[in-house]
Amino acid sequence: MKYIELGLREAVDLVRNGQVKATEIVESYLSHIEAVDPEIKAYLTLAAERALSRAREIDARKDKGRLAGAVVAIKDNIVTRGLRTTCGSRILQNFVPPYDATVVERLEAEDAIIIGKTNMDEFAMGSSTENSAFFPTRNPWDLERVPGGSSGGSAAAVAGLEAMAALGSDTGGSVRQPAAFCGIVGLKPTYGRVSRYGLVAFASSLDQIGPLARSVEDCALITSVIAGFDRRDSTCADRPVPDYLDGLDNFQEKVRVGFLGENSLKGINPEVAASYLRVGELVAGLGFEVVRMDFPSWEVALPCYYIIAPSEASSNLARYDGVRYGLRAEAVELADMYVRTRTQGFGSEVKRRILLGTFALSSGYYDAYYARAARARQAITAELQVAFRRVDFILTPTTPEPAFKLGEKQDPIAMYLQDYFTVAASLAGVPGISIPCGLARDGLPLGLQVLSEPFAENRLFKFAFLLENNIKFKNNMYGINTRGRRKNEN
Amino acid sequence: MKVDLEHLSRLANLELTEEERKLLPGQMEKIIDWVGQLSSLATGEEEKYHQVDFSLRLEEDEVQPSLPQDEVLAMAPEKQGDFVKVPRVFREK
Repeated sequence: MKYIELGLREAVDLVRNGQVKATEIVESYLSHIEAVDPEIKAYLTLAAERALSRAREIDARKDKGRLAGAVVAIKDNIVTRGLRTTCGSRILQNFVPPYDATVVERLEAEDAIIIGKTNMDEFAMGSSTENSAFFPTRNPWDLERVPGGSSGGSAAAVAGLEAMAALGSDTGGSVRQPAAFCGIVGLKPTYGRVSRYGLVAFASSLDQIGPLARSVEDCALITSVIAGFDRRDSTCADRPVPDYLDGLDNFQEKVRVGFLGENSLKGINPEVAASYLRVGELVAGLGFEVVRMDFPSWEVALPCYYIIAPSEASSNLARYDGVRYGLRAEAVELADMYVRTRTQGFGSEVKRRILLGTFALSSGYYDAYYARAARARQAITAELQVAFRRVDFILTPTTPEPAFKLGEKQDPIAMYLQDYFTVAASLAGVPGISIPCGLARDGLPLGLQVLSEPFAENRLFKFAFLLENNIKFKNNMYGINTRGRRKNEN
Repeated sequence: MKVDLEHLSRLANLELTEEERKLLPGQMEKIIDWVGQLSSLATGEEEKYHQVDFSLRLEEDEVQPSLPQDEVLAMAPEKQGDFVKVPRVFREK
């Protein structure tokens, strides 16, 4: 049996029943990673020994957790005790955290096995993983193309069968967009659903940790484990966490579904639009009422996001000063040491965003930019709230186009436009899930985004599960694809 | 809109490389004009800065262990005894 092809839920059941050893599963992942990661480059740090010893320990134990034997990759901006965490940046290149993020503690408490840390755009700033300070990750579907970003390493690892599932972080689309580009499922939970303790801060009012996996079911299982109150994150909601697997396959509600009108689809890739319209027909065919909606405020959602996120980033990244941890550049005097450390440690996109945020917050411009963005953010939030009085879910394409080629987007604004469909949910704090909904003509996967009201992940998973089963996305590619040919036949 | 990059980079404790000095002014100008589209949206006066609509609760004061000193010091780029060491703060006359 090829263990790497098992879904997470299946594998966990086999390990818990004692039919398969966690050690065997980890070994087959490690040998597959060795074979394909030199091409995909999903991992920044592999935790082979740590994973094997965890697996042996789990195998020796009678009581096994809810994720026993689940092989999970972790985005490299989520801290792991004793395991290097770089955030894709030179400034943290040799940083070994002395503590675990809450999500890591919770995964390990249920016997998930962490296999490694995945590549990402530096400080999660980017949509292609090309902004990693170390190397770009490649899309397993087509190695000439990007896996999306910023959680591109996590998405590529899951699609390339280098992990059963992964954690990513989503600030403006960084879980959903790479999930769409790599033909997998990715959830950005409601803001406050999952603790951010131990997530390296980018834009604190937007950042959320979310799972990437090969099915809605696997995402639901992981979310059940990582969600919930944490006293170490004051923005984490103290609300009960349902078992998201409970009744997942049983969605009986007669819901109304919001569907974008033609105005909102102008300018997007025609194949993305066509596949989206097919989903609309399918939803109507299932007996749901489809309600056309346009969101006029989305026109300024991106500019709003690109003021708020860099502003928060410029403040959050002030902590990298070379004093207590991370890179320190040589200098005779302290003030020079700060400047040299930051200049050598940060890449161009990070500098651009720090400067943009510094500008938006600086004296004389604050009202014209930051305060205005805060008002736009309220308008975007209110528009979604009104929409959710009329409908239960809103469907959009996840991305305006399928995965693009490495090096294709040199202009920063062209890259920022990737987030067109995803930022509104981030600004409003509502949950969004991306599921695969078809293939473009050249064989690249396309994603469908489903949004719901805050803290309604339970219904969101059920509805996404139903769509997933009806779309019947045939994933015939898991592994690695070099010019249309499957390579992992061994 | 033109921006004073020298001033901004001083505020942000950054220096620009030769290449960034060439590319950044044009890029920043374009980005700032692009985000400036915001002024076209008629919005209300209400502002949103955070996401936390649920009530925050106060914790009891409780003594809990913090990170051990040796682990904190182990991360420091330079140390002396039980202290993190930094370059001198004041310039010599």
